[in-house]
Amino acid sequence: MSPTDIYKLLKSDKTGFAGFIVLMCILLMSFVGPFIVPLDTTVKLNEIYQSPSFKYWLGTDNMGRDIFSLIVHGGKDVLIVAILTGFFSTLIAFFLGSFSGFVGGKMDTFLMWIVDVFLTIPRFPLLAVLAAVVTLDNNYLLAALLAALSWPGLARAVRSQVLSIKTRDYIEAARVLDLGTRHIIFKEILPNIMGYVVINFIFAMTAAVYSQVGLIFLGLIPLSGQNWGLMIQFAWVRGAIFYNGSLMYILAPIIVIALFQWSAIAFTRSLETIFNPRLRGAK
Amino acid sequence: MKLIKRLKDPQTYLWILFAGIIASWPTVINKLNPARLGVIGLFFVYIIIELGVLKLIAIRKDIGLYPWLQSSFLLRRLLRMLSTIVFVVTLTFFMIRLMPGNPIEIYIQNQMTSTGMSYQEARDQAAALYQIPLDEPLYLQWLDYLWNMIHGDFGKSYTSPGTPVTKFIVDYLPWTIFSVGTGIMISFIIGTVLGMYIAYKRGGFMDHSLSYFSSITTAIPNYLLGILLLIFLGVQLKIIPVSLMRGTAPPGVPAGFTFTYIFGIFGHAVLPMFTYIVSTVGGWILTMKNTTLNTLGEDYVQVAKARGLKEHRIILNYVGRNAILPLFTTLVMQIGLLMGGSPLIETIFVYKGIGWAMGSALGQRDYPVMQAIFLVITVAVIFANFLADMLYSKLDPRIKTNVAD
Amino acid sequence: MAAKPLLKVDKLAIEYTSRRGPVLAVRDISFELYDGENLCIIGESGSGKTTMGMALLKLSPPSATITAGSIVYHLSGKEYDIRKMKDEQVRQFRWKEVAMVLQGALNAFNPVIRIGTQFLETGWAHGIKSSKQITASAEELLRFVQLDPKRVMSAYQHELSGGMKQRVLIAMALLLRPKILIMDEATSALDILTQRNIINLLKKIKREMGVSIVFVSHDLSLAAELADRIVTVYAGRLVEVGKTEDIFYRPIHPYTIGLIKATPTVTGDNKDLSSIKGSPPDLINLPKGCKFAPRCAFAEDRCRMDEPELIKVGEGHYASCIRAK
Repeated sequence: MSPTDIYKLLKSDKTGFAGFIVLMCILLMSFVGPFIVPLDTTVKLNEIYQSPSFKYWLGTDNMGRDIFSLIVHGGKDVLIVAILTGFFSTLIAFFLGSFSGFVGGKMDTFLMWIVDVFLTIPRFPLLAVLAAVVTLDNNYLLAALLAALSWPGLARAVRSQVLSIKTRDYIEAARVLDLGTRHIIFKEILPNIMGYVVINFIFAMTAAVYSQVGLIFLGLIPLSGQNWGLMIQFAWVRGAIFYNGSLMYILAPIIVIALFQWSAIAFTRSLETIFNPRLRGAK
Repeated sequence: MKLIKRLKDPQTYLWILFAGIIASWPTVINKLNPARLGVIGLFFVYIIIELGVLKLIAIRKDIGLYPWLQSSFLLRRLLRMLSTIVFVVTLTFFMIRLMPGNPIEIYIQNQMTSTGMSYQEARDQAAALYQIPLDEPLYLQWLDYLWNMIHGDFGKSYTSPGTPVTKFIVDYLPWTIFSVGTGIMISFIIGTVLGMYIAYKRGGFMDHSLSYFSSITTAIPNYLLGILLLIFLGVQLKIIPVSLMRGTAPPGVPAGFTFTYIFGIFGHAVLPMFTYIVSTVGGWILTMKNTTLNTLGEDYVQVAKARGLKEHRIILNYVGRNAILPLFTTLVMQIGLLMGGSPLIETIFVYKGIGWAMGSALGQRDYPVMQAIFLVITVAVIFANFLADMLYSKLDPRIKTNVAD
Repeated sequence: MAAKPLLKVDKLAIEYTSRRGPVLAVRDISFELYDGENLCIIGESGSGKTTMGMALLKLSPPSATITAGSIVYHLSGKEYDIRKMKDEQVRQFRWKEVAMVLQGALNAFNPVIRIGTQFLETGWAHGIKSSKQITASAEELLRFVQLDPKRVMSAYQHELSGGMKQRVLIAMALLLRPKILIMDEATSALDILTQRNIINLLKKIKREMGVSIVFVSHDLSLAAELADRIVTVYAGRLVEVGKTEDIFYRPIHPYTIGLIKATPTVTGDNKDLSSIKGSPPDLINLPKGCKFAPRCAFAEDRCRMDEPELIKVGEGHYASCIRAK
C-alpha cells in the first residue's frame, strides 16, 4: 500500500482524521515545542493568576509563570511514559498472547487463568498501593510497572485473534500447499494481527496516561519538573478551581490531556479502516 | 523432547511444589498449629474439588448421583471466585513482604529511630500491626496471614493506633457500593435506552450529537471529568453548593428511613454519581447502538414482523433483549473500573467512601489500611463480577450450565 | 375462472435506492393466484423474485419503494389492497390471512424465548386471548408436521435442528389458518432428505388444509412436484406463465427452456444437461430490448430493439418472447 493510499484512507473517516491531526499537534508540541517556546521560570509575584491575554495565551499560574509555556513543556514526561508503557505492554502481550494461542493445551489454560486474575483485580488501587510501597522516581520503572499491569488485557485479545486466524481457511490452505511454518507465521498470521496490535498500543497509551495522572494527582509519584499531571495536582491543592483567574491553571492541563485521549481514540478509527479492508468503503 | 513437553505442562510445577512440601515436612511438623493445619486442609479440599470430584460427577451424571451438583455452573464459578481471591491475598502478602522498600522494613526502621527500640522489639510490634508472625519461615507466615484474612482480621491501623482496620471498612464500604452501584444502574438504563433509540433513528440529530458526546466523555479520564463537573456545576454555575457537599450523609441527621436522611444521602452522593454516570453513559450508548443495529438485521426480527407482532413487543422482546446481552461483559468490566477509580473520584469530592479512605491512607502511608482496602475493593469487584455472570446466564438460555464447561 | 383470484399482482414495479442509481429490482410483474392451487415463481438470484415476495406482505426494507402496480387480495369475501392499507391493518392482516415463511429457518425464532411462548405471542398479537386454546392449537399443528409437541414447545431455538425448525416455522405459519402461504426458498438450506420430508409435508398441507401456496424459488424440481402453475421471472419481469405441464413439456421462452435443461433428473441420462451461459444483467443499467437477449441462443436483431409483451401461447399459457408467435 503506497503512502498516497494510506493518506486517502486516513482522510476517509473524518473523525479519525481530525484525531490524527490533533494527536500529531500534541506530539509535536510536546517534543518539538520545548525547543521553540522557552520555559517561563521567572517568578513574577505581581502577575499571579492572570486570565488569558495576548501576552500570556493561557494566563499565569500561582507564581506568575506563563501557563502556555508550562503546557508545552509538560507533555514530554507524560507522553514518554505513555509510549514506553504502550511499547512494553504490547511487546509482552504480543508474545505471550500469540504463544498461548499457538501452543494451546494446558499452558494456554494456565496463562489464561493468570490473565483472568489480573483482569479482575482493579488496576488503579493495585497501582496506588505499589506506588506507595515502591518509590517511583524513574520514568522507566513507572512504565515497566504500568506495562506489567496492562499486558493481560492485550494478551487475551491477541490470543483470541491468533486462535481465530489459526483455524481460518487460508491457513489450512497454506498448510496444504506446504508453505512452511515460518511463512505461515510471518506472511499469514502477522499481517492480520498487526492492525490489532497497533490499535491496542494506542489503547495502552491512553490507559497509561489515566493511571499516571491519577497517581500523580494522589501525590504518589515524587516527580519534579514540568508535567501536566503535576500542574493539575498543584492547582488542585492550591484551590485553583475556586477563583476565575486561576481557573486556567487547572483547566489547561485537563483539557490538553482530554484532547490527547480523545484524539488517540479517534485516530484508532482511521487505523481500523487502514488495517481492515472489509471496513473500507463501508461509508 | 520429552523434557520440554514436561516443562510446558503446568502440572509438572504442581508436582514439584508437592515434592517440596513433602521434603520440608520434618522441619515444619512441630510448628503446625490447628490454624495452619486448617488452612492447609482447606487448600487440599479445594484442589480435590477442582480437579477430581467434578470429573467424577460428570461421569456419573447419568446415574443420577448428587443431582444438585449438576447445576455445577454455580459451583465452578464460586470456585473460580475463591481461587482468584486467594491469589490476590497471596499477592498482597508478597507485596508487603518482598518488595524493595517494603513497608514492614520501613516501619521497623522508623520505630527504631523514633522510639529507640531494638530491632527485635520493633519487629514484634510490626508483627502485631500487620498480623504476620515475622519470626517464622515465610510460607508459614503466609498460612497465618491467610488464616487471619479468613477471620476478617486485617490488623490495626498505623496512623490511628489501636483502631482495627475492619472498622474502616465497615464504616466506609457501604457508601461506595451505594454511589457506584446506583451510578452504574442509572447510567446503564439511560445509556441502553438512548442507544437503542438512536439505532432506530439513524442519522438523525440525536444520533450525531449523542455519538459525539459519547466519544468525548468516554475519552476523558473519569476523575478529570469529575473536576470539570465540580468546576462548572459547583463553582461557575453554583448549581451545587460545594461547601455543603463534603461527606456522605447530611450532618447531624440520625440515620434511618426519614425523608431528610434519604434526601441527604442522595444529595451528598450527587456529584460522584453524576461523574460515574457522565463518564460511562457514552460507552453504553455507543455499544447499545451497535448491538441494536446488528440485531435489527437478524432474521427473527423480520419473521416477527411477518407474524404480525406488535411493534412494541418486537422492540422490547426481540430487539432489546437480544441487543442487551453482549453488554453484560462490559458491565462486569465497568464495575471494576468504577470501584478502581473511586480513590480518585471520592477524594476529589471528599465523599467518604472506601476510595476516599484509601486515598487518605495512601497519603499517610498507613500500610495495613491501604492493603486491606485494596483487598476489599478487589473482593468486592470479584463478587460483583460473579453476580453479573449469574445474571447473564439466567438471561441467555444459550449458556450451557452443565459440567462440560 | 369466474371466481376472483385470491391474490392479484398487477404490473408491480419496485425500486431500491443505491449509490449508483435506482436498482430496478421488479419492473413489471403481474400474476394471479386462484383458490386451491399452488403457484411457483421461478427465477435466479437477482431476478427480483424475493423482492416481490417481501412486498406481498409489505415487508420490504426501507430502501425499497413500490413505484407502480398493485397487490390485491380477495379473501373470505373481503378485498385487501396492500398498498392502500394502514400499518395497523397490515399488521393484523399478516400471518392471519397470509403467512410467509422466509428463506432458511435457522434464525427465524427469538433465541431467548421458548418456542411455546412464541406461539402464544403470535396468537395474542391477533386477538386470541386464551393461552390454553393457542397452546392446544399449536400442539395439534406440531403433530401435523410430525414433531413431538412436548419437546418442541418448551425448547429454545438452538436446541432444534434445521429441519425441525423449518417444520416448526411451517406449523406456526398455519396457526391462524391463513388462506395463503408464501414460501420463499423453503427448502434451499436443507439437506436432501429433509427437503423430501418438507415437500411431502407441503403436499399434505395442500390436501388437508386447503391452503393455497405461493412458492418463490430457483428450484424447478420443487415446482414440478408442488406447483399447479408456474411463473418464470427474469430481470424483474415475467417471461413465461402457464400450467406446470405446459411449462415443462411445451416451454416457449428460451430462459425457461434453459432452466429446464439445467435441472438434473433422477433417472440419470444427463447428457443434455447444460447451464445458461452468461450472467444476469445489471439491474441499474439494463440493456435495451429483451433483457435475456445477451444470453439467448435464439436472439434476433429485433429482440434487442423492443422488449416483447406477453403473448398468448395456449390456454393460460403466456410468454414474452417473439418465438411465441
